[in-house]
Amino acid sequence: MTDNFNRRNFLKMSGAVLAASTAGAAMSVSGSALAADTSAAIATGLKAALPKARGPRLVVVGGGTSGLTIAKYAKKEYPKFDVVLVEKRDMYSSCFSSNLWYAGLINLEFLANHSFLDGATNNGYTYFNATVTGLDRASRTLVTSEGDIGYDFLVLAPGISYDYDKIGVSDVDTMTALRQKYPGGFISPTEHVTIHRKVQEFEGGVFVQSVPGGNYRCLPGPYERACLIASVIKKNKLKAKVLVLDANPEITIKAKGFHAAFNELYKDIIEWKPNSAITSVDVEKRAIKTEFDSYTFDDAAIYPNVRGSTLIEHLGLMAPASKSTQKEANIDTRFYNIVGDPHVYVTGDSRPHPYSKSANTSNTEAHYVAKVLAARAQGKEIAWVSPRTICYSMVNANPMEAISVDAGYDYSAEKDAITGFSKDTKTFENRDTAKGQATLEWARGIYRDMFEA
Amino acid sequence: MDRRGFVKLCTGTVLTTAFSQSLSSRAGQIEAFPPAKLVKADGSPLKASEVGLNEAMVFAYPFNGIPCYLINLGNRTAHPQAMDSTDDGVFSNPEGVGKGNHLVAFIAICSHQLSYPTPEISYLRYANEGSELAGKPGRIVCCAHGSVYDPAEGARVESGPAPAPLLPVALDYDAATDGLTATGVVGKAFIQRFFKNFKGDLIERYGAGVYRQDVGETTKAVPLSQYSAVVPAC
Repeated sequence: MTDNFNRRNFLKMSGAVLAASTAGAAMSVSGSALAADTSAAIATGLKAALPKARGPRLVVVGGGTSGLTIAKYAKKEYPKFDVVLVEKRDMYSSCFSSNLWYAGLINLEFLANHSFLDGATNNGYTYFNATVTGLDRASRTLVTSEGDIGYDFLVLAPGISYDYDKIGVSDVDTMTALRQKYPGGFISPTEHVTIHRKVQEFEGGVFVQSVPGGNYRCLPGPYERACLIASVIKKNKLKAKVLVLDANPEITIKAKGFHAAFNELYKDIIEWKPNSAITSVDVEKRAIKTEFDSYTFDDAAIYPNVRGSTLIEHLGLMAPASKSTQKEANIDTRFYNIVGDPHVYVTGDSRPHPYSKSANTSNTEAHYVAKVLAARAQGKEIAWVSPRTICYSMVNANPMEAISVDAGYDYSAEKDAITGFSKDTKTFENRDTAKGQATLEWARGIYRDMFEA
Repeated sequence: MDRRGFVKLCTGTVLTTAFSQSLSSRAGQIEAFPPAKLVKADGSPLKASEVGLNEAMVFAYPFNGIPCYLINLGNRTAHPQAMDSTDDGVFSNPEGVGKGNHLVAFIAICSHQLSYPTPEISYLRYANEGSELAGKPGRIVCCAHGSVYDPAEGARVESGPAPAPLLPVALDYDAATDGLTATGVVGKAFIQRFFKNFKGDLIERYGAGVYRQDVGETTKAVPLSQYSAVVPAC
């Protein structure tokens, strides 16, 4: 039922060319068969307008934290690579740090003044502005809206998609209205612009910020946003509150630091409701139901559950439900290649790992995957290295004060799985202005690492 | 365990080479630049005995746009050792200078994602009295992503994501006048990458082309708390 809904929905959104490939892909999801039999339906016969590859061609799909970092560092690690970054957006703007904009701590330029063109020029690869529509792994051909691209190695880093089914919103009318009027704000820049306007124009009443269950993108993100919206309410002396409807029984990360901020800074403003998974939303009436309660709101940012990007499903690369309950990619735990295919990799937030889906995780993971690709292009293997989740959360806007976490992960060879946080994981939950300042430089550092030489 | 894995992975070959060199060898790879005498804000010569324990002093060298830290290690002394940089190959850090060999200097740009002190703010600082990040005294810490360097050990990385040590600045000490002169650095390629990363900011702060010019015969050294308006204490 769920699968049918999503597929139908995706087809509606994406047009006829995909319909053919999707049907083929869906059949091969459960097996390991390559999509060879669907290649005729996919291939456009039109070659993308790209210079002839001057070395092994590495195609990276997705110009977010993971894709940008891999494109740069794979080239650095193995200069013979001919790297093409395929990105559907023609303008970059980061999802990370976007909460800071809502409280006026940064401007939009902070997030968006980073050019795909400069990133590619600075680091010796090609930026190709196109949308992926299909994949033929037998002939190693990626199909895009701007033509076919042959690859020796392919990295897919398409990020996440929302899963509205899991908050009880499974009719397409409600889902469309909800994602348009009360967006989650954890995927696209246009959502950020809408939420920025909502927060800046909020004049009183109830603002709902929901927190989904599962391994959603940016674990502290919704709590940080609640704090920053509350900061604005406090500054403007509004008769208002932020209602945090949390699907989880406890704050999912940095709980001590967030509880302290909620209680000490926003006692009469933030109302945090644990075990309050949303079960339905009435967009017109601005009403939300949870298992035991119902609420009305004046404005909201409804963050539904997340899943691996729909692109992963429609290219036939999704893991079985036993491996991922969030429709993430069927990849090797340590080396990120699609199981049984050493030429195709999935990184970033479409991975099935229990890693925090954060910019720093994707950035450090990408440094490692770049080394994996460089090694494999030379017929070698390297040892696994954990990504690192260094993550700041601004809990106060006036003055800027933050808390942070620095986490690594453990791998068990016996289980071939990530089993938990590594021993050297630390949290810094006493909010202070030093970490508040560091929050800004943390982001600038990652921008530099992605775009500069 | 992670760190060990990382070292094996990334620098295994290079480190082997490095360690096979004599640790007592003189600082290799330091490139000489026109010497610049360290002076105080008023232009009078800075004496080694005037370098305080509590914080780093900031001076520009070898170019106007390159900030360096002068650090008084107090009771600790600097140990030359084989080092591996991100951009400039293998080198050995110099010994300390001054009467107790207790003064060292480094280019004050984090090797991880290039955070550096500006007049507005410095995320990188020498925390003589300890810090939340380092957990012990006498370390250089970078607030941005939590890297910790030990200035007595050639500013090698003690913890955090930094891939390489801070790069050294060679100092000459004149016992007769107690004066200090910067004479060279490791980091020619690193400096070029830094300039490329921050070109817009450096032009705004110093003027087009100016940040790339030699500092001249003298360079002013001021305490970090005077150089940067905000110094977060991570």
